[in-house]
Amino acid sequence: MKRSPFLSASRPGSVRLIPVRSLRLQLLAWVVLPLAGLLAVNLWTSRNSAIATADLVTDRMLLGSAKAIAEQVSMTDGVLDATVPPAAIELFDTGDRDSVYYRVETAEGRLLTGYPDLPIPPPKSSRSIEAAYRGQLLRLRAYRHPIIGAGEDSPVRVTVGITLAGHDAMVRRLWLNAFLQQLMLVVIAGVFVLLGLRRGLAPLLKLRDAVRSRKKTDLSPFSVPEVQSEILPLVDALNAYMGRVQAQMAAQRRFVANAAHQLRTPLALLSTQASYALREKGSEAREEALLALQTSTRRLARLAEQLLTLSRAEPGSRRPRADRIDLMAEARQVLEDHAPIAVKHRIDLGLDGSGTVIVGGDATMLREMIVNLVDNALRYTPEGGSVTVRVAEEGGMALLSVSDNGPGIPAAEREHVFERFYRIAGSEEHGSGLGLAIVREVADNTRGRVTLSDTPGGGLTVEVSLPLARS
Amino acid sequence: MRLLLVEDNQELASWLARTLRQAQYTVDVVHDGEEAEHALAVGEHALVILDLSLPKRSGLDVLRELRARGNAVPVIVLTANASLDGRVRGLDQGADDYLAKPFEIEELEARIRAHLRRASNRAETVIACGDLVFDTNTRMFTLAGETLGLTPREHAVLEQLVLKAGRAVSKGALSGAIYDFDTDADPSAIEIYVHRLRKKLEGSRVEIVTLRGLGYLIRHEA
Repeated sequence: MKRSPFLSASRPGSVRLIPVRSLRLQLLAWVVLPLAGLLAVNLWTSRNSAIATADLVTDRMLLGSAKAIAEQVSMTDGVLDATVPPAAIELFDTGDRDSVYYRVETAEGRLLTGYPDLPIPPPKSSRSIEAAYRGQLLRLRAYRHPIIGAGEDSPVRVTVGITLAGHDAMVRRLWLNAFLQQLMLVVIAGVFVLLGLRRGLAPLLKLRDAVRSRKKTDLSPFSVPEVQSEILPLVDALNAYMGRVQAQMAAQRRFVANAAHQLRTPLALLSTQASYALREKGSEAREEALLALQTSTRRLARLAEQLLTLSRAEPGSRRPRADRIDLMAEARQVLEDHAPIAVKHRIDLGLDGSGTVIVGGDATMLREMIVNLVDNALRYTPEGGSVTVRVAEEGGMALLSVSDNGPGIPAAEREHVFERFYRIAGSEEHGSGLGLAIVREVADNTRGRVTLSDTPGGGLTVEVSLPLARS
Repeated sequence: MRLLLVEDNQELASWLARTLRQAQYTVDVVHDGEEAEHALAVGEHALVILDLSLPKRSGLDVLRELRARGNAVPVIVLTANASLDGRVRGLDQGADDYLAKPFEIEELEARIRAHLRRASNRAETVIACGDLVFDTNTRMFTLAGETLGLTPREHAVLEQLVLKAGRAVSKGALSGAIYDFDTDADPSAIEIYVHRLRKKLEGSRVEIVTLRGLGYLIRHEA
């Protein structure tokens, strides 16, 4: 349970990423980031398809242009004549200032018209190529056209090339449209996520405000109408928790009221004894009253101590401890402290057991438990009686038992005597009714058990079994 | 004056009784509800101091039954429960006064005196019978201005007579007022106390008259 000072001193987030705690941001990220990823993939494919479309369109235009040029090649007076029709060039006038190049040649490669150095696609290729020409990238397409009567010059090959400005503009136009549409989609999705969250989170925020604005003392259950079925368990758990806190506080209040109540009679006694002593003129009677006053004061101090012990035994009031303590040594110490009282009342006080019996737990509380056990036993044992404390290891548990030969506790009372301030009716001893409550609560906190039984021959035996400390 | 103290805490009961005896009261002490009922059935107490949290029968039950029987003896309730609710319940059941623990003994005594005074239908705190004067606050007798030294028994007898000055007080009533449960009541001893009182009152204008078959009466010459 110990926290390393280094860990608590380091600022969270200085090393690792600050985790996103906002539900809104988390949900938004979960919706928008995958959408953006999809958008990227989609943009890539749509760019490809835009390029393919532009390629196709350009190629058709190149082919159409080449065919138009080829149609105009004819045999005139036995000579091949190639005249480029203006329509074949105007076809490309899309407003992007593209330059058109062409080259018409015979089957043997004799140039009929056009640019002699224009690159030509490889023979037999029916597809377009892209090649650099005069510092610009061109898309080129060749077309073979048979000319009747041209003999060996047939077929002529017409190659048309065009710069890519129009092509690229078309790609951009096609792609930009798709991009804008999809971007719109993501933005709209984001807006709807935010709106949905706003609506969906409203009950949760209402709950938050309700919790935040609660007075410290108000522990009544929260009621949040229109809360979703997913959040309902949270509200229920919160209310159940508040219920437990309320019960705990009520128990605490009862105890404090009870404690105040229990202090009143001893205080009245102190006050009476003091008044008596003040008025008494005879020195003997006065001394008697003062001695009685002293005894009452001690008893009241012991009661205060027991109350303090009980409040310490309260869950959460002390940090859980796992001291290793030797029951044997503690018992011996307590018995030594109580020996004078035992001698005074001629009670045979004995310790039974040897070696060490180590248990784990809160040393102060365990010691207080033994003190209360021994104190109780001595209190209820008549003059000349005996009290035996036994410490042993049995069945994997540490065992501490205190036997007296006092009046014992009737079976019907045995469950009640562990209640705080419970006193057996008609009991004349000056017990506070807290001793066994302390024993039970300390044992519970140490995961132990307390049982009451009869001492053979009469009297009470209180047996506490505690888990042994792990070695 | 004979008081009944009902308190389950034996030590507090015993020290309260000692302190009240110091103040010249005769005090009977009982520790539980049943004993309280028996003591109250005898009906010789001028006032009852009653703790509410008692074993066997609760103080409230005892009080309720006492009033149901028509017994109007003044009752001062003592309790460790100082809540308003508890106080109201106590008073509703017929308590005359309510004192929360811890209390100062002086306050308890002042309230005892006040209730005794009211019960004897006197408003004054000083009762005079000729030159014999009884101060109900200090519970002291003075004769012609001088303090009269009395034993507790003599004091109790004279107090009874003075409180009923001019009326006959029977021997039985006198012994009921002066003997607690732990003492064997001896009615003939009353004569001895009266005899001693007459001696101490000699020379004054006050005299204790014996009325045969009726008891005693205190009177003073005009």
